[in-house]
Order: sequence, then C-alpha cells, then structure tokens
Amino acid sequence: MKQAVILLNPRLLSFRNKGFAKDRSIRLIIFAGIGISFWAGIFAICYRVLMYFQRVEGIGNILAYKLLSMVLLIFFSLLIFSSILTSLSNLYMSKDLTLVHSLPVPGEKIFLAKWIESTIDSSWMVVVYAIPVFISYGIVFKAGPFFYIDIALTLFPLCIIASALSSIMVLVIVIILPASRIRSIFVFLGLVLLVILYTTFRLLRPERLVNTENFASLLSYLNNLSAPSYPLLPSTWAFDSLKAALIGDASCSLFNVALSMSCAAFLIFSSILIARAIYFKGFSKSQASMARLFQHKKERLDKLFSFLSGPTKSFVVKEIKTFLRDQAQWSQIFLIGALIVIYTYNFSVLPIEQSPIKSVYLQNLLSFLNVALAAFVLISVTARFAFPSISIEGSSFWIVRSAPIPLRTFLWIKFFIYLFPLLILSEILIVVTNLLLNVTPFMMYLSIITLFFLTPGVVSLGIGLGAAYPDFNSENPAHTVAGFGGLVFMIISAAYIGAVIVLEAGPVYTIFMSGIRNENLSCFQLLWIIGSFFTAFLISMLAIILPMRFGEKRLMRGFFR
Amino acid sequence: MIDLINLSKHFGNIKAVDILNLSVSSGELFGFIGPNGAGKTTTIQMIGGLLAPTEGSVIIDGIDMAKEPEKAKKKIGLIPDRPFLYEKLTGMEFLKFTADLYEVSEEAFLENTEKILNMFSLIDRAHELIESYSHGMKQRLIMSAALLHEPLLIVVDEPMVGLDPRGIKMVKNLFRSLVAKGTTIFMSTHTLRLAEDVCDRIGIINNGKLIATGTINELKHTAQIGEADLEEVFFQLTEEEISL
Ligand SMILES: Nc1ncnc2c1ncn2[C@@H]1O[C@H](COP(=O)(O)OP(=O)(O)OP(=O)(O)O)[C@@H](O)[C@H]1O
Ligand SMILES: [Mg+2]
Repeated sequence: MKQAVILLNPRLLSFRNKGFAKDRSIRLIIFAGIGISFWAGIFAICYRVLMYFQRVEGIGNILAYKLLSMVLLIFFSLLIFSSILTSLSNLYMSKDLTLVHSLPVPGEKIFLAKWIESTIDSSWMVVVYAIPVFISYGIVFKAGPFFYIDIALTLFPLCIIASALSSIMVLVIVIILPASRIRSIFVFLGLVLLVILYTTFRLLRPERLVNTENFASLLSYLNNLSAPSYPLLPSTWAFDSLKAALIGDASCSLFNVALSMSCAAFLIFSSILIARAIYFKGFSKSQASMARLFQHKKERLDKLFSFLSGPTKSFVVKEIKTFLRDQAQWSQIFLIGALIVIYTYNFSVLPIEQSPIKSVYLQNLLSFLNVALAAFVLISVTARFAFPSISIEGSSFWIVRSAPIPLRTFLWIKFFIYLFPLLILSEILIVVTNLLLNVTPFMMYLSIITLFFLTPGVVSLGIGLGAAYPDFNSENPAHTVAGFGGLVFMIISAAYIGAVIVLEAGPVYTIFMSGIRNENLSCFQLLWIIGSFFTAFLISMLAIILPMRFGEKRLMRGFFR
Repeated sequence: MIDLINLSKHFGNIKAVDILNLSVSSGELFGFIGPNGAGKTTTIQMIGGLLAPTEGSVIIDGIDMAKEPEKAKKKIGLIPDRPFLYEKLTGMEFLKFTADLYEVSEEAFLENTEKILNMFSLIDRAHELIESYSHGMKQRLIMSAALLHEPLLIVVDEPMVGLDPRGIKMVKNLFRSLVAKGTTIFMSTHTLRLAEDVCDRIGIINNGKLIATGTINELKHTAQIGEADLEEVFFQLTEEEISL
C-alpha cells in the first residue's frame, strides 16, 4: 500500500505546483460559478419534482421511490461508463507508464495506484452532481441526519464497485484482444458502451412511468411501479439503503450498506489478484504498434487533392491520414453517432400528428427549435474534433512553426478540413429532421441557409479558440475542450446561435401572420425584416473572421513571448 | 548566410540568450558548443523561426526572419534535438509531406528520396508508420526530410544523439560533402571530437553569451593553452574545470 501511495505522489505534487497564478484564479472563479449554478439548478429541479409528487394523492411516494431507483441506476451506469474510459487511459495509455513500470514496484501495486487515481478521476464529478438530488430527497422527506450520513455510506462503495468492475473489464479486454488489434480497443469499447446504454434503458423501462394506457387499471400500474427491482444490482442495494434511511429504518439501511461494502471489498481484492496475473502482460502488449501490419497503398489522397498548392495539399493529406489512423478518434465518432441517432429517433416518434394545437405556428416553433438542436449537435461535434485539432499537433508543432507557410494559412487549412464534413453533417441532419417534422418549404429553405452560415461560424470559433488556448502537452487532446478555452468556445457559440435564431424568428413570425391574415407587409415591416436578416448575416461573417484572427494572434504570442 | 544581431531571448527573468552577435558565412560549417542550459537550443530555435527573439534580429541570406519569415524559412533545413514527428504517417508519407511543403517538384522528389533513404538506411522501413520507428530511425528520418529540399542552410541541434557509429560517420562525411558544395551548416553539439573534426569555425556559448568564436587554433590562443585539445579549451573558457 505504501508503494502505491508513493506512486500517487507525483500527481498530487503537480496538482499543487500548478499554484494559484492570477489568471488561474479568475478561471477558477468562472468554473466554480458555472459549476455551482448547475448544482443549484439540479437541486431546484429535483426539489420541485419531488414536491409535485408529494401532492399527488396516494402514489406520490411510490413515484418518488421509482425516480430514486432510476437515478441510482443511471448514476451507476454513468460511473461504469466513465471509469472504463479513465481506467483504460490511466492503466495503459498515460505517458508516465513506461517510467513507472521500470521502477522496482510490483505490477499490482502500480495497478492499485493507477486504479485509485482513475476511481477519483471518474467519480468525483458524477458524485458532486448526484448529491443535490439526494439532498432534495432528504429535505422533502424530512429525513433525519442519519440519511445524510447514509448518502456518503452508499455512494462510496457504489463508486468503488463501478470502478473495480470497469478495471477488471479493461484488464480482461486488453488481454483477450490479439496484439495486432490492440489499437482497435476503442471500437471494442464503443460496442461495450452501447451495450451499457441499451441495458440501462431496458432496465429503466422509462415508458412504463408515463404510459398508463398499457395497464388495465391504476392498480396494476401501481403494482408495476412498486415491483421489486433487480436484487443483484449494486444500485439496488444503494436504493434499498437510502429508502430505508429516508423512513428511518437504520438497521435495514446499514444492512444494505454492509452488502455494498463487502461487494466492493471483494471486487478490489479480485481486481488486484487479476492485475497481478495479467496487468503487466497486457501493458507490454498494448505498447505494440500496428505499424508493421500497415499496408502500403498507392497515394490516392495525393491525387485527389492535386489541385491544391503544395503546402496546402501537404497539410490536408496529413490531417486526413492522421485522423483516419487514430483509433482514439473513432471512439469519439461512436459517441457522436449515438447522440445523432438518439436525436433523430426522438423526432421520428414525436406525436405531432396527435397534437391538439396543430397549427402552422407550432410547426414554426418546432422547426426553429430543430435548428437550435441541430446547432447544438454541431457545437458538440466541433468541440470534440475541431477544437482540439490545434492541440493535437502536440510536440510536432515545431514542423508547422518551421514550415515556410504563415500560421494563418495553417489555421485556415484546419478550418476548411473541418468545415466540409461538418457542413455536410449538419445539412443532412437538418433536412432529415425537417422532413420528419413535415415543415413548410419556406422553413426548410430557411433552416438550410441558416445552417449554411452557422456551420462556418461555429467551426471558426472552434479552430480560433482552440488555437488561442492550445495545450500542446496534453495527454489526451480531446480533453482540452474541458478547459477554459473550451468553456469560452461553448458559451460564445451558444450565444452566437441564439442571436441568429432570435434575429430570424421575429421576421418569420411576422411573415407567417401576414400570410394567414392575407395582408401585405407594410413598408416598415419589410425594412425590419431585411434589417434583421442582414444583421444575422453580418454576425455570421464576424463569427467566421474574428475568432480566426484572435486565434492566430494568441498562438503567435504563445511562441513569440 | 546567417547574421545574428544583438539577439536576445528572455524567459521571464532568465536570459536564455543575451545580446548575441554572430555571422556565419556561406559554405561554412559552424559548430556551436556550450554547457547544458547555455542557450544553444534557444538560439537554434530563433534561427529556425520557431521562436521570436525578445530583441535583436535574425538575418538569413539577407532576409529578415521577422519581416519575411516564409521566405527565410524556405532556405532552411531544420533538424531539432528531439525527433517529434507525425507518428501516424509512414516515413515515406512524411517525406512527401515535406516535399509538398517546400514545393519540391515530383521528379526531384522521386530522385532525391531514393538516394537519401538509401543513404540513411531507411529504405526498407519507409512504408511503416513512424510511431514504430526507433529513436535513431526517427532522427534519420528528420535529417532526410531536412535535406530533401536541398536547403542553402542546415541548422542542426545535436545531430549525433541516438545515431549509431556507422550513422555518425555517414553524417560527418555528408556534412563535409554538403559544405564542399556550398551549403552552410550551423550545428550545436556536445561531442567536442565531432566539432574538432568537422567544423570550420566554433562558437562557445555560456549563460546565453557568446564567449568565444574562431577556428580551433584561434580558440586555443584565446584560452592561452598550447598543445591542448578542444576539451581543455572548452573547460578553460566555460570555467567548468573549477567544479571538477
Ligand atoms: N520554454 C522555456 N521556458 C523557460 N525557460 C526556458 C525555456 N526554454 C529554455 N529555457 C531556459 O533557457 C536556458 C537555455 O536553454 P537551452 O535549451 O537553449 O539550452 P541548451 O544550450 O540547448 O542546453 P542543452 O545542452 O541542455 O540542450 C535554460 O536556462 C533553460 O532553462
Ligand atoms: Mg539543447
């Protein structure tokens, strides 16, 4: 144990050495502010929902308990989800591993240190945001102090169980994948994650909560809701313990805590035993590169882009090849793909046809909402791929700096590389969802044009701010978006999209109303409409140009201190 | 070929390079030596346009690096001390990348790569991903890439780190033959034997200041040492022998 603690020291020290420089404390304040408002928001929503349940005669408590068990199940799957990713990177990919493995420390100790690290990494955020939910339960149910102690007692083993299970899973996956395929591990993990997603949904059976028609009577509905959940799931133990604590049954509550704790202890010991047997073996395996199996192909990309000038072509080809060969990127594509599928699926099941207020107005509203949602997907994809694309140059950035092309050209190359696929993606997304929504042709054209201008703006914000706040030393560049620059990117892009939509929605409403009333637009209205659209256009142009300038300036300064 | 005028670089309150004045003429092989942290890499990065000086200027073949960086950079082949490359490209693809970047014609590319890859014994591994290369192989690849566009000026930071004896010998001969053809080479190194063997002129830098320049004999004279080798001169001038 002592050795494992020593191994954790460097991490603690570097955390401390970051110090509290001035701009750091400003960032800290901004982050804390946003974090706290999220926290408060979750608390407020949860509190209101629970108060509402309390007012429902008879079944209020049942609903509240059902919700609690769902929350715990989601919480548990989120924990597993994030632990798999963190333990994979901490155990097999982090840069200090070659050093650590050369130290006179047995493999399972290294495993233990890395495991503790990933447990904390993967669970702290989930725990922080789960706490307001539990506190609102405590307040609404007027629980005694024991309940609040019990929150800690149940969450702690739940995190341990999730993290130990994930690390065992990762240990085994790395061993069973053949060495040549080890780099495809992300594809494999993508599948695992989808399975987790699916199982969670199946276990939740959310439709039963809303869909009362399927039950013959209220009684069977209630029976169904209060039916015992899966007794072997760790989240069920946490639920049973918390529920008992809410009604003051301490002994039942502690029994379930003991159950969780013993399971956690068992899993920790098993994972250490497994690690002793296979961790080092797996680590050596994971170091092999797929290079030797690499097939040399004729330069098709080179031909494809031969119309570009030399320097531009060289970067375009390099960027595409690097992207396609980087397996880590593929795991991201899986997640994004899942996001998009869920998004469009929601539209296909939306019961618009049955809506009582079936009006042009509602459809308009929905299609604007749709533009906003598609833009949200666009922002998240940009955040995942375009924003880190400067940081991803990493230590090889000297090649760009010594190359005989201006930094500006380099940034614009990056811009266009990400613009085209994102433009295609967002246009397909908007057209498909608009077809599902059955919008008017006018709205269809308007949203297509809007996204045509929004996409370059958002991509420029992503590249520009990614260049302004790069992190060339990052172990995982995709995570740079979680930093200050990423935050700025999210806020500004959201504001930009919001502004454009507001500027368009007003005129569109006027046009529709005049269409319905069969009136012509007045001269003043016409001017206002044109002005509004023009302003939206102007903002878009600024959003394309300014961030790139800003990024170029800041990136220059980073090197030219 | 290179003119460094009052060149200074400060990192916070560290003066990594402090008012350095130096000229290297065409066709010269200039050796740059000095203790760890003396400012060699910093100087080289400024010559290559990776870093902007805090003060002073870098003139490459009459072109000011600050004013026309692209034009100046085109004349340089830079070989940094650590071989960070695009790991997901193959060696050949990286060479093609460099060739496109410096606008080397297709014919010249085909002709030169074959020759260079053979010279650096990389020809068998050219179609493998760089991430599978050994340290020395990456170093060889960077050198190949820097030579590909036939630069007027080659700037090398510690060329021999990671190379095997055969590689070292080959690079030595290569440098001499390039210089004979008129290429200028600016090279920092810790291998004093190498500096003594191949360099026309040597500069010694310590604490960011250029403390001596000249041929080996001139340096010996400066250090007031008769029959010593460069090592003695180095210790004498950098006053390192006190701590020994
Ligand atoms: N990015 C940086 N930030 C702060 N200080 C730096 C940075 N790069 C170099 N320095 C400092 O500048 C000084 C000169 O460093 P430089 O790398 O040029 O030395 P060097 O002569 O190349 O040494 P070596 O022989 O070890 O390669 C050192 O004191 C170093 O600490
Ligand atoms: Mg150096």
